[in-house]
Amino acid sequence: MIFKGILNGCSSNVAAQAEELNGFIREYLSCGDNVGSTIAFYSKKEEKNGLLGLVPTESVELVRVARYQPENILVALRTVENAEKTDLYLFPSGFAGSEIAVRWACRMKGSCLVRVKQIECSGAQLTARKTVYANHVLGTFILTKKPYCISLAKGSAASQAIPIRDKLIVTEHDLTDLQKDQFIKHSQWIPTETTKDLEAATFLIIGGRGMDTKENTQSLKKIADALGADFGVSRPVAMSAWTPMHRMIGVSGAMTKPEVCIVAGVSGAAAFYAGIEKSKTIVAINTDIRAPIIKASDVAVIDDYKAVMAELAKIVLN
Amino acid sequence: MKILVCFKTAPDLEMLNDEDWVIDKNLQIDTSFLKPTLNSYDESALEIALKLSDASESVKVPLELNALTIAGSGETTILKTLNALRFKRVVRIDSHDDLRFRPMAIASILAQYVLKHASQDVLLLGRQTSIGENARTHLLVAEMLGWPCITQAIRIELVDGNHVMVTNQMDDGRLRQRIQTPCVLSIGDAPNTYMRVPTLKDRLGYGKRPIETLSIKDFQLSDETEELIDLEVIHHKRAVILIEGKSPEEKARKLYEGHLKGSVPVQERLAKT
Repeated sequence: MIFKGILNGCSSNVAAQAEELNGFIREYLSCGDNVGSTIAFYSKKEEKNGLLGLVPTESVELVRVARYQPENILVALRTVENAEKTDLYLFPSGFAGSEIAVRWACRMKGSCLVRVKQIECSGAQLTARKTVYANHVLGTFILTKKPYCISLAKGSAASQAIPIRDKLIVTEHDLTDLQKDQFIKHSQWIPTETTKDLEAATFLIIGGRGMDTKENTQSLKKIADALGADFGVSRPVAMSAWTPMHRMIGVSGAMTKPEVCIVAGVSGAAAFYAGIEKSKTIVAINTDIRAPIIKASDVAVIDDYKAVMAELAKIVLN
Repeated sequence: MKILVCFKTAPDLEMLNDEDWVIDKNLQIDTSFLKPTLNSYDESALEIALKLSDASESVKVPLELNALTIAGSGETTILKTLNALRFKRVVRIDSHDDLRFRPMAIASILAQYVLKHASQDVLLLGRQTSIGENARTHLLVAEMLGWPCITQAIRIELVDGNHVMVTNQMDDGRLRQRIQTPCVLSIGDAPNTYMRVPTLKDRLGYGKRPIETLSIKDFQLSDETEELIDLEVIHHKRAVILIEGKSPEEKARKLYEGHLKGSVPVQERLAKT
């Protein structure tokens, strides 16, 4: 199978994209007759050399564009790429990867799945698995039309550092003149905090809807701060704006893997649990013994989280 | 400006017990006994549309809000609620087909509705539904219409009759862009967008207006290029140890002594604070 990995070098998370793609390629495409290369988009000249060190395959097409804008990226792909010669396109997890994967497949009349966890190549056929039913069920799909375009699910394979290569075949294209985004009349970039810190956390305290109020949320965060833990929340808490969005845990937010994860007042919806399932130890504190999080934890306390966490903070800090 | 919110109801899957997750030979899971609720991203789309309607008078942009769903006849409660919230047209495309994993078919219906039945300036959709998790419909309908699509929108403001200001979440920040219509906007995790409840007066005054109903047979459905061949329930189970005690304080002590005291990260992080 001939495959191509797509990197969005216009984004500050391109190193994470590259390591994620590399892990997936090593896991699922490193054997047999699979041959891969990379297409990497970037906008700033000074970022080119850094990008060359992030290529997970032995060859790369570097495509310079004015900025990341899906309409321009799609036309740029069309300009540099002959989809008839490629069987499979791999896009990183994340918003950009999924939106380009779907639209590219549609334009190339191929097949597409987003947030794919596993693939299996059998001759010319591709089978892919992804979660459905709000993360409760794993669905297996056969993709029936080439080119197959898939974006990865976060954590679908362990990220792998990019090896230092003696030789990298590089082709370059300058498409900075592309202007397929005239429908955008004004654009302003607003930097925000990301989920990166939570994803690297070793000790995590997470509050859920059981916190009931913004004040209780702030109180639990103070306890987390005092204990030296990172603080996350479930989606209902973030959606109520009791904390900033970047603290959200789960498939929509941070996918964490702490040593210790204390989960307070969280029912444990499957889409949330996916964000903590790689924790070494999960401690659940909940008043409802029937909450799904209880069965999915290593240690459970059936009680009011406020009283338990307040006492725990007292014990640890004294 | 005409805005069409495309929405879907879905069963609250978190209400299912472990034993309810049974996959039959047709790759179906019975959720018929669960009450349908608004898909959470679609709920955000509907509330954002209502907020735009609230603001339309002050920015002097006349707005027509419409809502559309593809569903069977059992979804009338939510449709009546949207009537009561003063959506101008509330449309149900009658279908009992299995559309769980058919984003191409759904997108083709939406595109045909806009092109043949009622033209629109903005299409608002949630980014995905809970059952199919396809996360493709908004992008496919944009491709079919030849419209641009802004994904992960979290805030929309009216600018004038032909432009909206859209703030959307990117992988490493946010963009605030003035967008020319027509366009497709897909709603991501937008805080403070739980849908409002209509007043009793509006329920009585507007809730009983008829629902516009079309048949799915009036549309040509595009074929999918992916085929579902298997479903497998994911079990999340760990060997849970229940901490017993007479008070929360006693349980906290047992939790610390038995499970957290020797925990390396806790100690490491504490040493740093």
